[in-house]
Amino acid sequence: MARVEFRNVRKEFQDHSKESFTAVAGSDFVINDKEFVVFVGPSGCGKTTSLRMIAGLEHQTSGDILIGDRVVNNLHPKDRDIAMVFQDYALYPHMTIRDNLSFGLKNLKKPKAYIDQKVKEAAAILDMEPMLGRKPRELSGGQRQRVALGRAIVRDPQVFLFDEPLSNLDAKLRVQMRVELSELHKRLGATIVYVTHDQVEAMTLGERIVVMNRGIIQQIANPTELYAKPRNMFVAGFIGSPPMNFIDASIEGGRVVVEGGSFELPAAKLDALSPYAGRKLILGIRPEDIHGEDYAPGLETSPHRMNTHIQVVEHLGSENLLYFHIGGRLVTAKVHPETKAYPGLEKPFIFDMRKAHFFDPDSEQRIEI
Amino acid sequence: MQSQSQPQTQSRKLMLTIAGILLLLWTILTIVPLYWMLVGSLQDSAASASFRPAMIPEALSLAPYERFFAKTAAWRWLFNSLLVSSVLTVTNVFFASLAGYAFAKLKFPGSNAIFWILLSTMMIPAQVTLIPLYILMVNTLQLQDTYTAIILPTAVSVGNIFLMKQYMSSLPTSLIHAARIDACGEFRIFWRVILPLAKPGLAVLAIFTFVASWNEFFWPFLITSSTDMRTIQVGLASFVFAESTDFGAMMAGATIGALPMMILFFSLQRYFLQGITIGAVKG
Repeated sequence: MARVEFRNVRKEFQDHSKESFTAVAGSDFVINDKEFVVFVGPSGCGKTTSLRMIAGLEHQTSGDILIGDRVVNNLHPKDRDIAMVFQDYALYPHMTIRDNLSFGLKNLKKPKAYIDQKVKEAAAILDMEPMLGRKPRELSGGQRQRVALGRAIVRDPQVFLFDEPLSNLDAKLRVQMRVELSELHKRLGATIVYVTHDQVEAMTLGERIVVMNRGIIQQIANPTELYAKPRNMFVAGFIGSPPMNFIDASIEGGRVVVEGGSFELPAAKLDALSPYAGRKLILGIRPEDIHGEDYAPGLETSPHRMNTHIQVVEHLGSENLLYFHIGGRLVTAKVHPETKAYPGLEKPFIFDMRKAHFFDPDSEQRIEI
Repeated sequence: MQSQSQPQTQSRKLMLTIAGILLLLWTILTIVPLYWMLVGSLQDSAASASFRPAMIPEALSLAPYERFFAKTAAWRWLFNSLLVSSVLTVTNVFFASLAGYAFAKLKFPGSNAIFWILLSTMMIPAQVTLIPLYILMVNTLQLQDTYTAIILPTAVSVGNIFLMKQYMSSLPTSLIHAARIDACGEFRIFWRVILPLAKPGLAVLAIFTFVASWNEFFWPFLITSSTDMRTIQVGLASFVFAESTDFGAMMAGATIGALPMMILFFSLQRYFLQGITIGAVKG
């Protein structure tokens, strides 16, 4: 296994009108040996392009890509010692599962005994011995996904690349495969680079997550840090479901003032926010940090309260989502199902200001407090 | 409701009837010459020399067939046709699929420009290029009266490249990427991954090319001069005797010339229909 490094990697595409479009704008990062790293971001953020550049299916406009200690800029995909699992599985439809698994090794001219051994091992790991003689069209989506994984495993590559491999599976199967992928990573001790647009997949699978937007890396961190200390409003809004609420606020007289109320802040936090006194800033608070007054364990005596009119209530069983407006922005609260709520009800909410974030409205960066 | 739907049903019935009659007429128009050819070939010379064979023959005879094979180099012509059509089928399938794959899936500078230039050559009528082609083959390359001369100009056609490009475009690109990562060289990707998947398209291409080559008349007629180098179609045209024409034997020859095509069509009907729809949905 090996590390992967991007050194100021840039990728530009030219469209039909010869206008260039920057897909990746100077990425710098290191993926450590045996690490499971997830690239996440919305469509067009450059995550798949980055993965394809590691694979050698796209060539960077500038910068260096290293796999292990080798610069692989000009190497053909076959010489990079990588294996890739595609979104649509990309199994060869005319070959049996056995041939699909062994195709790469045959191309590498490995001895037959070695190939048979590898195919057998992969089939055992993924529990697919009975299907080796079948064609891909005879398999279900989940089974095809397994074969695609198997095809990567038999190669014993330095780096595994996954391009949204679970996006074609139904929700239940996706959860199951997620667990299997995690186990597989532990078992193989492999370096894995995984691309997804699904932040839940990213948070559950990744040891570290690279959040990208418009070709620029927004933050690289482990899931806990990403959630607790998002670097900017994009990361804060992208990670977490439902996304973080952003409310226009200002600092006046030592208090955070929002439309319809204000919250007192501890002196330490106020110091950090003092440069913003009299100016606008953005208060960021996650839906799970807003509680109904009647069910706020540990926060019953909190002074950070505010009355609002509930507009919409969504019952999810394990929790309820309540929607209301503050300062023209729609705010979501994720509350305990026993919280009394119905549309039109005016209700006091408790804001857990210990977990609140503040963002500069111009740079959209989080203010460290 | 009922009063509204009744006229609709009636007009629909009328349309179907008219369509049925038109199709029936078209079928008769198509079948009659073939039937006439068959009937003419199965009547003896006296009856058919007038070129007015009875539509319902009184006595069937294989004499015209015997005369056709006895008086002409028919076996040689059939062999020539088979050889030329087979070679052209192989070259067209191979080169058109290679080019089609390149245009559909490979990125190379000027690919679009080259493709459009190739396509634009389809706008030039074949008659325009006939004389330069003849001069090239006969005067420059000195290839007159050879198989090479019959085959070379249509070894690969732009129309077939276009057909293959459309077909190849519908194959998933991720398979090519997967093969590349699976340490597969570019030609091996084409041979082991793309060609097997393109089989239905290749079958259509092969059949169309074989039929077109078998039926080709003008170029083989122009470029060959000896009896031995004629294809069956050219041979039939030269089937005119000094004093009189044996129409019975001619019809027998025409039947033999058309027979392989009929067998091919009826046994591979579904590919013919597929050929019409390639590129209609995807591409």
